[in-house]
Amino acid sequence: MWEFIARSLEASTIFTFAALGELINQRSGILNVGIEGVMLFGATLGFIAAQSTESYLLGFLVAIVIGGLLGLLHGFFSVTLGVDQVVSGMGIWILGFGLTTYIGNPYTGPLGLPRIPTVLGLSPFFYIGIVLVVASWFVLTKTSLGLRIRSVGENPSVAEVSGIDVTKTRYLCVTVGGMLMGFAGAIYSLDYNPVWNYNFLMGWGFIALALVFFSMWNPFILLGGSLLYGTLWQLSLNPQLVLPGVMSRYLWRTVPFVTTVGVLLLMSTKWFRIRWGAAKPEALAQPYVKE
Amino acid sequence: MRIGRYGLKLEKRLTVTGWQAAIISSLAIVFALVLFSIIFILGGINPLLAYQEIFSYAFANRFGLPLTINRFIFLLLCTCAFILPFRAGLWNIGMTGQLYAGALGAFAVLYAFGAKASLALELSPGIVIPLMLIAAALGGAGIGAIAGFLKGRFEINEIVVTMMLNFIVLWLVAFMIKEGGLFMNPGGRGESFEIPPSGYAPLIMGVPFTVFLALGLAGLLYFLFAKTRIGYQIKAHGHNPAAAKYAGISAFGIPLLVFALGGAVAGLAGYHYFAAVPGVYKIARNYAYFGDLAFYGIICGLISLGNPLAAIPVALLFGGLSIGGRFVQGKLGMAFGVDYALLGVLMITLVAFQFFYRYKIVWVTIGEKGLDVGVHR
Repeated sequence: MWEFIARSLEASTIFTFAALGELINQRSGILNVGIEGVMLFGATLGFIAAQSTESYLLGFLVAIVIGGLLGLLHGFFSVTLGVDQVVSGMGIWILGFGLTTYIGNPYTGPLGLPRIPTVLGLSPFFYIGIVLVVASWFVLTKTSLGLRIRSVGENPSVAEVSGIDVTKTRYLCVTVGGMLMGFAGAIYSLDYNPVWNYNFLMGWGFIALALVFFSMWNPFILLGGSLLYGTLWQLSLNPQLVLPGVMSRYLWRTVPFVTTVGVLLLMSTKWFRIRWGAAKPEALAQPYVKE
Repeated sequence: MRIGRYGLKLEKRLTVTGWQAAIISSLAIVFALVLFSIIFILGGINPLLAYQEIFSYAFANRFGLPLTINRFIFLLLCTCAFILPFRAGLWNIGMTGQLYAGALGAFAVLYAFGAKASLALELSPGIVIPLMLIAAALGGAGIGAIAGFLKGRFEINEIVVTMMLNFIVLWLVAFMIKEGGLFMNPGGRGESFEIPPSGYAPLIMGVPFTVFLALGLAGLLYFLFAKTRIGYQIKAHGHNPAAAKYAGISAFGIPLLVFALGGAVAGLAGYHYFAAVPGVYKIARNYAYFGDLAFYGIICGLISLGNPLAAIPVALLFGGLSIGGRFVQGKLGMAFGVDYALLGVLMITLVAFQFFYRYKIVWVTIGEKGLDVGVHR
């Protein structure tokens, strides 16, 4: 049972990192639906770097850098060129899905490095994730940088008039967000399940996207959601550990996705709608053109 | 930017004519192919040779051409499934799940007729094949309608919902065809039972009849958008849902309708690949590969700017490229997934080119006077 709980917490860490990256993006008004693509890139290139240099540190660094670069690319498309943010995010997802399938294929198989040591029985990234949640909550709500980010997400033209550089702030957020997503991918491929396989993520990034909608853009609610989904995901992978023989293992795999639709349905009730609408960054997904 | 007496300036396009769009889209495809040669060069292969091999295999080879045509039918159906919601301003990225559901529907009909028991079963094609088509369309429509209903009734983000449905139906297919599922092959190879030869889709000169279905649907959709009231309502909803609502266009009905119709078309794509392509006639173990191919439909739909007729040549080209890509991968000894990589490169180039649909770069001559005063802008 402890094994199951530990794995669930580790799975939730990946959701935490990826969704936190998306949350920072969205707080500045940029929607990135390509989380899964950024994660795939971080996971695959990080895996290759770690395997060929036999260094975990380099693997994670490569994943963070590629994540940041893809974030910058999304920023270039959506901030500078003013492309529809959904189109750009889709582009990054399909680019990630397509290219990593090609690039990673020769590396199919296990990583072949000694496992990353655990701290108190858990992956060290679990603790880093909690620190990051607290830190991003602090930065977003208690600092002038956070105020800048939020005002850019709520009303970019007013922010611009009051002397905030909208372009710079948004670029900062998409880059940092991308780095976190790339990091999340590397946690998957280097720590959680160190085996490279074709399209191995199977929806982690899209669940992370839904988690941000659930969280009402609050890092602490996001952490709670990640814990819930980490457990649910782990249960869907290993149902026999907790509820043996209840349902076909293939049907278990659908549970996180069915639940997501269910939660979205719950969120659409009036009680949630009002609070959700108040919390939502007003300028989310709208391109901003300086007049 | 200035070069001597000439300058480059960005100008916002107010409208894009059909020809301008066609030129920009063609340039995007050419640019993507040039960009993609980097992948060949990195693999130590002359890109010109590679492209020659791709095109000659895909379009001028008696083994390759039928594959290209079958892929084309599939991609065109997926593109139409994407375009229907797209014109209403909605994103259908759930063709994957919808086509799996279509395949399940078609196989459910066969199962009901007892086709699982014996390959020698004599089915009457005149009854079974129309029933399979209807079931495939209904299966896809059912999955699509979920997303449309949730969008129309509860305003739930359709991107997340369609993606969730993709994974849900992916695992449902596995449930049906593996480990003792209802449609499992009696031989137990983790794939579905095979269709008896009497249930094969009729071929016309070696091409499944679904080619007419796909082309006909593309034409029908063009007519729908250009000439009919409902097509106008879909487009109005796409331009401005709030304004359309005030004009009496149902904010609930339109999303439901376009997603149900789109899903039905994607369901037919599922019928095509799993029940009509010669040499397949089953839901194979690698069925997820066909689901992934459906994403080409997004690119086709975007590059043809939602015009179903323009999607025909694009789908043919992409069908050929993906078939030829698979071929050179084997022939020139490249790593697996050249067609996946091409999918990614095409998509990201297209995103960058979105810019040119909205802006144009114009040459301007800067007059003597401007230079004299020294006003630099």
